[in-house]
Amino acid sequence: MSEDIVPRLESYLARVLAQPDLEVSALARIPGGASRETYRFRIRYGGGGAQTERGLILRRDPPASLIETERATEYRAYQAFHALGLPVPEPIALEESGDFLGRPFFIMEEIENCQVGNILASNPYGDHRDQIGQQFFGALGRIAQADVDAIGLGDLDGTRDPARCWSHELERWQKVIEEDETEPQPIVHAGLRWLRRNPPPPAQRISVVHGDYRTGNFLFDAKGDIRAILDWEMTHLGDPLEDLAWALDPLWSHGDPSRPAGTIARPQALAIWEKESGIRLDTAALAWWEIFASLKGCAIWMSAAREYAQGRNTDPVNAFSGWYCLAFHNNVLAERLGAA
Amino acid sequence: MTPETDQILNLSAMKLITEFAPALGTQYGQGMAQVVAVLLFMAGQDVERGAAIRVAENADMRTLFGALAPQMADEILRKELETAARSPEGALTISALNTVNARLRRLLIRLHAALDDSGADATAVWTVLKAMAARRTVTLPAL
Repeated sequence: MSEDIVPRLESYLARVLAQPDLEVSALARIPGGASRETYRFRIRYGGGGAQTERGLILRRDPPASLIETERATEYRAYQAFHALGLPVPEPIALEESGDFLGRPFFIMEEIENCQVGNILASNPYGDHRDQIGQQFFGALGRIAQADVDAIGLGDLDGTRDPARCWSHELERWQKVIEEDETEPQPIVHAGLRWLRRNPPPPAQRISVVHGDYRTGNFLFDAKGDIRAILDWEMTHLGDPLEDLAWALDPLWSHGDPSRPAGTIARPQALAIWEKESGIRLDTAALAWWEIFASLKGCAIWMSAAREYAQGRNTDPVNAFSGWYCLAFHNNVLAERLGAA
Repeated sequence: MTPETDQILNLSAMKLITEFAPALGTQYGQGMAQVVAVLLFMAGQDVERGAAIRVAENADMRTLFGALAPQMADEILRKELETAARSPEGALTISALNTVNARLRRLLIRLHAALDDSGADATAVWTVLKAMAARRTVTLPAL
């Protein structure tokens, strides 16, 4: 089935890159989450002179998506942060019609010889744990620090009103919960009420929020360097604490919440983020966003469960998310709110 | 039955992870086979404990409703809580337990919201919710 799209991909890229002799080879689907189909392939062109060969990644919309996301937004985020010098793959092409590959897609550079940390592994980074943690929270601080207008993302979805960041996101995810709740979730409803009754202070700055900054969404190499921050599909404007809280979430801590993302100690992670972002951390505000993170997780996993249960997207990752991850976040939310 | 269903699922999961997945030719196939193996392991756990979890959860909610119903000013809600508190469990299939569980959960949401709205103590509700969440947490083998 993958091979069926090779001629179409070849003709599309030959036109976009103005390389009539471009050839596509070694197309193979790779794991890349349930929200887009991900393929690795190689291109070669320049037969008459200096020949160029490189690896690329194709991200194509599936028949049904886990969450409704804007591929154009994701593509623009890749453009902006690649230009800023963050470890982000170079975006190559965005196609929003289904004219070429049946569904919309985008293409970006393949970052080779890297791996993703498995969220179920107890120590996915081995001896590079500290180095990866420093880079992970440092890069997140740099995302928070970036001027949204200067990098051309000032018009993203979200809000530019610091006082409304929390309510904007809460309303967004409450809508998802209302639409995708296939079995009653009493802890989630309690979470919604608590978050509304106990609002955080206004955001200190409006930043680009990655939206899913965590273990599993970055690539690292054998030297322990983060080479690519991926999956910008939920990028929006908002309070940078939203991203920090998500990155700190116990689901990504590999069994030890005192070492977020399975890397460095939490105080060190927060200190690095503060230094790189230039934002002095408000711990009360962060506590609100951490509870919100658990609720947002529940909303995403409820969507995954619904997609799978109703047969719209039977990727087994959706079954895992809708079962394991939902149970995990329900437990985190209950423990946090039951003590609040 | 010998072997038992949970054993079949757990051992199949292990075979899939350690033998079958590595033999697949593509990274995508290997990755997906590993996720399916984890799902088999989770299903193995649920075969063993799924009915017990739901029976305990339903019993907890009925006990809670019986204890808190007298505090409810809303007469309709109070009567619904009293009725639910006395309701029998019925069939012990997962689907039947889920149907009852969903009905009780919807009532629990209304009860909790009513307590929150009135500023009443919801400690007893949180005790039940924490127990529910803890029971349903899935433990996976280290990879």
